[in-house]
Amino acid sequence: MRGIVGVFPELDATVEAVAELKKLRVGDVTVYSPTPRHELDDVLKQGPSVVRVYTLIGALAGVTFGYWIPIWVSDYWPLVVGGKPIASWVPYTIIGFELMVLIGSLATVLGLFVNARIPRITQTVGYDPRFSDGSFGIWVECRPDEQETVRRVLAANGAAEVRDER
Amino acid sequence: MSTMAPDRIELRRDNTATADVQLPAVKSYTQATDEILDTLRVTKAWFAGLGVAVLCLLIGGTAWAYQIYMGLGVAGYRPPVMWGVYIITFVFWIGIGHAGTLISAILYLFRAGFRTTIYRCAEAMTVFAVMTAGLFPILHLGRPWKFFWLIPYPHWRLIWPQFKSPLVWDVFAVLTYLTVSATFLFIGLIPDIAVLRDRETNPVRKQIFGVLSFGWRNSDREWRHFARAYLFLAAFSTPLVLSVHSVVSFDFAMANLPGWHTTIFPPYFVAGAIFSGMGMVFTIIIPVRRWFKLKHYVTINVLDAGAKLCLFTSLVVGCAYLTEFFIAWYSGSEVEQSYFWNRVFGQWWWAAWIMLTCNAILPLLLFSQRLRRNTTFLFTLSIFINLGMWYERFVIIVPSMSHEFEPWKWGPYAPTYIDWAILLGSFGWFSMWFLLFIKQLPVLAIAEVKEIVPPRMRHAHAEPDPEGHSIAPGLIGSYEVR
Repeated sequence: MRGIVGVFPELDATVEAVAELKKLRVGDVTVYSPTPRHELDDVLKQGPSVVRVYTLIGALAGVTFGYWIPIWVSDYWPLVVGGKPIASWVPYTIIGFELMVLIGSLATVLGLFVNARIPRITQTVGYDPRFSDGSFGIWVECRPDEQETVRRVLAANGAAEVRDER
Repeated sequence: MSTMAPDRIELRRDNTATADVQLPAVKSYTQATDEILDTLRVTKAWFAGLGVAVLCLLIGGTAWAYQIYMGLGVAGYRPPVMWGVYIITFVFWIGIGHAGTLISAILYLFRAGFRTTIYRCAEAMTVFAVMTAGLFPILHLGRPWKFFWLIPYPHWRLIWPQFKSPLVWDVFAVLTYLTVSATFLFIGLIPDIAVLRDRETNPVRKQIFGVLSFGWRNSDREWRHFARAYLFLAAFSTPLVLSVHSVVSFDFAMANLPGWHTTIFPPYFVAGAIFSGMGMVFTIIIPVRRWFKLKHYVTINVLDAGAKLCLFTSLVVGCAYLTEFFIAWYSGSEVEQSYFWNRVFGQWWWAAWIMLTCNAILPLLLFSQRLRRNTTFLFTLSIFINLGMWYERFVIIVPSMSHEFEPWKWGPYAPTYIDWAILLGSFGWFSMWFLLFIKQLPVLAIAEVKEIVPPRMRHAHAEPDPEGHSIAPGLIGSYEVR
């Protein structure tokens, strides 16, 4: 993995640099920001997050298990009361709901971890501690013949620092 | 009106009406990082506070050990009142935990910007309050080491818990709430722990923060999925917070006792829980903003908005109190009417009037904008609210058990010094965790605060792009998820 990293103090300069890199179709661009910003979303034009799929699957699994376990237990150990169903779904809705929330939430966290690719063991290449403080950053993973173009674009758009990383 | 208007303008001069979603005194991302991380410096006052908390915890622990040795009788439990201070305090702490989720999740979904600077504190309060509440069902057991019998698993006798029992619902609801609120808190902390990691100079602490931040790098990919996951966790937490106190209210409403067996309990409990939680938020956040010099983050407008929420929930709770009396009168049930008369004018009049005064009468003062923006008043009122909400649970639990259907069953109840010691211990336990939290992790959400701080711009006024998204500072209140 080799590429160029640019450190930007300003948001609009970062946006303009990303837009130009996208236009030139050079390398694989990753943008760092201390906080999420729509301006960066807009210029990167990424699709919706797929975490929602994990959430849906987790919630469905949770509610199914939450109904199934008390129904199965009622059937396994029936308490026969005249005129009353062995498995009464109304109180079991509480178990179903709570497990839907529990498993759905944990599945959401799993979806976040899988898609955001965390936990990450190493985080040094292409990263600068200033990106969690007050600066924005662009990391472009690119071929050697593209590096000069990337370096020029980053510098021309107001990068405070441009450096090679590998 | 003409004489009132200038006063109102005067009151609002320091913070404009829209400033509750903006922080005019915070000029840059770096300033926000520096000032929030500055709260982590350990002081002598903090050590003193931690010492007091641990002392209270030790007093409670000693009382519990004595109770285990002697039996539950030392806690004043004798027929007919078999639920007392422990269940009162259990419901009290569960209620405290509700405002945290309200502020962090429900207000997030409603895009209420004023939550940004107080939600971390409230979320931590939620987790520690639920941890405290979870102790009380165990404290209430004669053989606490058997508590795991409530957890549904096929043990050696192949007997399962009764899934139609409200106590089993409690286990599911409270454990789910604890897990989800702790997850919500921790997920929100990840970007801030990354800030700590990047600023840390001690290699051991840097390593620990590195592990806890999961190698978070603030990349566009991470933020995109983070925002979506955070939204879904908020969406799950919102009905969860309503369900948990509803389930706790079922502990009472499913029993056939006068004063308990009523359908008003779930909404009544939920409103009471949010009200009591807001009271505790004020008790915590007002000293925190003063001691940590965070007045330009937790602004008067933020407190004003919180006070309005507190007033609203107080009105709901007051309405529920009146509705209870109406239901008793309208039911025509002599037992129900006798019970409510006894509650307010009989054996327990003093507890009922503490409840009514603190929860329904004193909060009406919040109609005054001048008082809503007075931190000394808000802090004092919050203490009364905490007291009143503890007594609300006392009034719900004890009078019903001591004054049920047949007069020969009626009896007295008085908490013993063991009860009071364990109640004190619970405050020590809660305070200890909270004090440890605020010196290890940021008490304000750094990444979210930066959302409402204008970023540095090369061009002062950028034009909107063709899709209408302007590159403009400080307009986002909370990040809109796509």
